Amino acid sequence: MSAEHKLPHEVAVHENLSNEQMRTNLTTAMHILQKNRLKVIDDRFEDWQGLRARARQAKNNALMSLDERLLEFEKNATKNGMHVHWASSDTDACEIIYQIMMEKKANKILKGKSMASEEIGLNHYLEKKGLKAVESDLGELVLQLDEDTPVHIVVPAIHRNRYQIGQTFKDKLGASLESEPEKLNAIAREHLRNQFEDLKIGLSGVNFAMSEQGAIWLIENEGNGRMCTTASDIHIALCGIEKVMQSFEDAATMVHLLTPSATGQFIPTYNNIITGPRKNGDLDGPREVHIVLFDHNRTRMLANKNYYEALRCIRCGACMNFCPVYDKIGGHTYQTTYPGPIGEVISPNLFGIDKTGDILSFCSLCGRCSEVCPVKIPLANLIRTLRSDKAGQGEQKLLGDENMHHNKAEAFAMRNFQMAATNGGLWRFSLGNAHYFNWAVQGLKSALPVIKKWSEFKDLPSIKVDLYKEVQKLEGVSYE
Amino acid sequence: MLNKVYFYATCLGTAAMQEMVLNAIKLLRKEGVEVIFKKNQTCCGQPSFNSGYFNESKEVALYNTRLFEKDYPIIVPSGSCAGMMSHDYIELFKEDKRLDEIKHFSSKVIELSQYLDQVLNVNYEDKGEPIKVTWHSNCHALRVQKSITSSKNLIKRLKNVELIELEYEQECCGFGGTFSVKEPEISNAMARAKVNDIQNTGAKYIISGDGGCLLNIKGTMSRMGLDIKGFHLYDFLLKRLEGAKL
Ligand code: SF4
Repeated sequence: MSAEHKLPHEVAVHENLSNEQMRTNLTTAMHILQKNRLKVIDDRFEDWQGLRARARQAKNNALMSLDERLLEFEKNATKNGMHVHWASSDTDACEIIYQIMMEKKANKILKGKSMASEEIGLNHYLEKKGLKAVESDLGELVLQLDEDTPVHIVVPAIHRNRYQIGQTFKDKLGASLESEPEKLNAIAREHLRNQFEDLKIGLSGVNFAMSEQGAIWLIENEGNGRMCTTASDIHIALCGIEKVMQSFEDAATMVHLLTPSATGQFIPTYNNIITGPRKNGDLDGPREVHIVLFDHNRTRMLANKNYYEALRCIRCGACMNFCPVYDKIGGHTYQTTYPGPIGEVISPNLFGIDKTGDILSFCSLCGRCSEVCPVKIPLANLIRTLRSDKAGQGEQKLLGDENMHHNKAEAFAMRNFQMAATNGGLWRFSLGNAHYFNWAVQGLKSALPVIKKWSEFKDLPSIKVDLYKEVQKLEGVSYE
Repeated sequence: MLNKVYFYATCLGTAAMQEMVLNAIKLLRKEGVEVIFKKNQTCCGQPSFNSGYFNESKEVALYNTRLFEKDYPIIVPSGSCAGMMSHDYIELFKEDKRLDEIKHFSSKVIELSQYLDQVLNVNYEDKGEPIKVTWHSNCHALRVQKSITSSKNLIKRLKNVELIELEYEQECCGFGGTFSVKEPEISNAMARAKVNDIQNTGAKYIISGDGGCLLNIKGTMSRMGLDIKGFHLYDFLLKRLEGAKL
């Protein structure tokens, strides 16, 4: 989401919280995804924790040798007949895709689901050049027709129910008004078949890239992704550099964790392992395969002693499925490509803490995200550390830090807090006379003008006794 | 053997839940435990830690390690503060040369229900009427201090109390310390969801081992005008043992 469209933080929160329909759709969906995940782990896995540990290790190994991995991938992928492109920024990545389209005289590409393309703002970039990127993932298609953005990284249109989708298809595709999933599918299928027919360039993301094999692994459920990568003359795969791992075995470990975490499926419906363009004798497949390896601040993240851990992310969405804030406000409130706990960690790293740092308050630090993350990213700890960076106490400066206005009032309040909390006499004095929250109100009111709002929603208790006096009356208690 | 312990009242206990602190100490006294109450105790440092003010939090942590210097168990009637002192302090000091000092302190910290359940293995005689209650798990107690099993074990020792579990027990109630102050509207939405879940059990009592969550849930229920009563675990236990009216 571009900066110029950004709503003030409180407005975004309020508007989305007030959207009852979205909240109901989301809460229901999240509860189903949670149950599915638990069930598949219980029923089908003997050593889920062991698998997590292995995945963490495999991914860390790849990250610690990323230079080597990337060069090895380039070498082997090239040997396999693929074209490897390097992009350092989001714009570079868009430009490479644009150039390929120009060269091939294509004014349209058909896309499989790819969060990476959202991250680099591809659709928008191409649109400005008069070109079209058409979504083929069912959820993405609904959103594109509706001029909406994904609310979730795995199930982009999960905030919409089938009645709303039926309405969209009626309004935008001229279909008859339907609400049965089968009928909606049929409408989408017919629409997409036409799109596939004259397809020249298909674009996909990449789930895992294997450097030893010079191959990529794509996972999907609808079959459209397979169309985008095989039915076209040209396939472009957009791949963040952190997706490159060493071996097929390593990637397989990750795949085992991905769909159970995401939707509770044991295995994905489609596994596509692409080793290169169509060879002599092959019945289908594109004649050209291009891989765009893009950095977009990932190298910077890798160099950070804390946030490199978030590069293990396999975009399963489990952290958002289990986040008690996400299911109340939905993904749009974050106003960045990646919402939820992982979004809170990577958005400031990818787009700058000045632009996205406000979302760091969307977390009660309940720790459920860290608990479910299949690759053991300590999300809650990282969110807390990011708050520290935002407050200006971090050792390594984050992207966009130079534009940060540190909250002086909050810093002042925290120094006051420290002063009272390291001085028993002062503490006793303030609490002895206090109404609950008094110290907080006194100390933080300048920093947190919303403190009044707490009591707008909730009743506060009243104070009855002087603890210090009462404790001294108890026998067997030494007050010292 | 006579046990001697430090009692850590927590800032919320001192500021808003004095009865709970007194009752918690009484539960220890009932087992013959000798209690030291440090009058200069303050706060575990969560407000600054969770807001990212690590420098300030470190000073508070060091203050605590020095105040509770002797090798007695430090009993905390809150999974949240116990988790902070037994685990998060170590995270906070992981690259600090004073880590060993911190680790020593952290190893002494234990949540009260864990102490009653696991160390003292208390024997409780329930003098109250038969009732149904439900239980709210504090996130930090659940995932960091891991004291929920012990808390529930204590309730299960009461023969006239039936415990009905919440359907979405593992969901946060929206307190989260400064979170509820910084994002009051989201916090309220979370608290309402929690209260719904509580209402769905049909129980008239909600018990929790954490002051913050309890204030949050009770404050919301009272604003909604519900006739469900919220109790802190240690208030509840003492009342049952004394046969007092709830
Ligand atoms: S952070 Fe973990 S849980 Fe969240 S999307 Fe990434 S891999 Fe999944």
